[in-house]
Amino acid sequence: MFQYDFMQHAFIAGTLIAIMCGVIGVFIIARSLSFVAHTISHIGFAGAAFAAYAGIDPLVGLLAFTLAGSVGVGQMGVRMFRRDASISVILSLALGLGILFLSLGNIQGNYSRTLLFGSVVGIDLQDIWQIVAITLFVLIALCAGYRWLKFDSFDQVGAQAAGLPIRWISIGFLLLMAVATSVTIQIVGALLVFSLMTVPAAAARLYTQSIFGMILLSSLIAVLSVWFGLVSGYYTNAPVSFFIVAFDAVSYFLGIIYHRLMERRRAVA
Amino acid sequence: MKDLSLDVSPGQMYAIIGPNGAGKSTLLKSILGLIHPQHGEIVLSCDQKKPVIGYVPQSRVIDDDMPICARDFISLGQVSSFFPWPSRREKRILHEMMIFTDTDRLAKKPVGKLSGGERQRVFLAQALVRHPDLLLLDESTANLDPDAQTRMMELVKKAVHEWGVTVLFICHDFQMVRAYADHILLMTRGYYKTGDVQSILDDQAMLKNVFQSSFDEGVTHHEGSASSGLSVSASSR
Repeated sequence: MFQYDFMQHAFIAGTLIAIMCGVIGVFIIARSLSFVAHTISHIGFAGAAFAAYAGIDPLVGLLAFTLAGSVGVGQMGVRMFRRDASISVILSLALGLGILFLSLGNIQGNYSRTLLFGSVVGIDLQDIWQIVAITLFVLIALCAGYRWLKFDSFDQVGAQAAGLPIRWISIGFLLLMAVATSVTIQIVGALLVFSLMTVPAAAARLYTQSIFGMILLSSLIAVLSVWFGLVSGYYTNAPVSFFIVAFDAVSYFLGIIYHRLMERRRAVA
Repeated sequence: MKDLSLDVSPGQMYAIIGPNGAGKSTLLKSILGLIHPQHGEIVLSCDQKKPVIGYVPQSRVIDDDMPICARDFISLGQVSSFFPWPSRREKRILHEMMIFTDTDRLAKKPVGKLSGGERQRVFLAQALVRHPDLLLLDESTANLDPDAQTRMMELVKKAVHEWGVTVLFICHDFQMVRAYADHILLMTRGYYKTGDVQSILDDQAMLKNVFQSSFDEGVTHHEGSASSGLSVSASSR
């Protein structure tokens, strides 16, 4: 399997993206931004479709649309966006725009499918360097703002009372999420970004109550799911994304069982 | 709230009393910058530096979907460094503060699973871990049983003695005010008065007037509302 360049590339890119999604996912779950992440990935789909229509680099289209979308969400106020029906309006609009650009550009069905469901076989060396740069940027930014982001994500009232600039933290995090989404869409597709960014983190919080533990476990689950997806996809010819999502989902459901068992044990003790 | 000016001295405890709707919580939240005044401004001045403020509200929404342990919750308050990992000094301070607030044995428990008293002690520890100059308690003991209330206030008093923290606490329990406050800020709509505990709590006529008028308004405009109920219990003490 590793004699093929495309599999080597897929493993490197997939592992980096999984680590990034695992880390950022913990904060997405803690900030209840799962559906905002979902919406941003759809905005990314529209961006990639626009790039194909305009004949520019897909990553440029992805970044332009997701960053603009994040600023929009930040300006509207995340709290309102989280609760309001506006989330479905923007999500539908983004999908509609994506379809419009694909149609205007007379783009082939294969490309649309790649945008929605991803493709790991088409990653070349240049893509790898792009992914390395973006992953490092996101991880360094998360490290630099770790304490503020952690405080604001897990105790917003406390963070606000401590005088942290919570609005800027929120916008900064949305922008990072946009960057992470843009690079991840290229591998797992617009529809499944959401799962790689949220399911490992959602599973991790069921196994541990330590924030750092959640980050480590979430990244580990994400990495294992990508490896499992790539190996299974290679041997079965079935879509890699399916195996990734299936692995994440199993970790999550096992997590629920584990969590309930621990709760019962605590109640007995 | 209009033209309210309050000078506080280090290492003193100030009780804020008054009927519901007098603006007690609004005052604390304005000091913290959680809400902004409709007109005018809040000026907070401190002799040496910008004061570090700790805040413990009556309750906090804890997300059961993201159950973090007490130790991590307390350490959230340590934001003075940019390094993601805690320094040896920060670890020591965290440990000392957990022992001080008797939360060390709760370290690994999810905050959402703690009792009311334990949870408030965890919130207090998070506020204290930043070594605040000013500690604001917004009815922090209101939902606790008498034992837990006393335990919490004893900890606050100990923090005042050990680190010279200045405390502003909103309280409806006059016995608690007598036991712990050095001074009182009495607030009612459009009027405030400061003084030592004795002079304000012994002025029964004034207290009756303040709390009774609030009660009368409650009956007139919001009959049966929680605000009138609480005013009665306050005025009856």
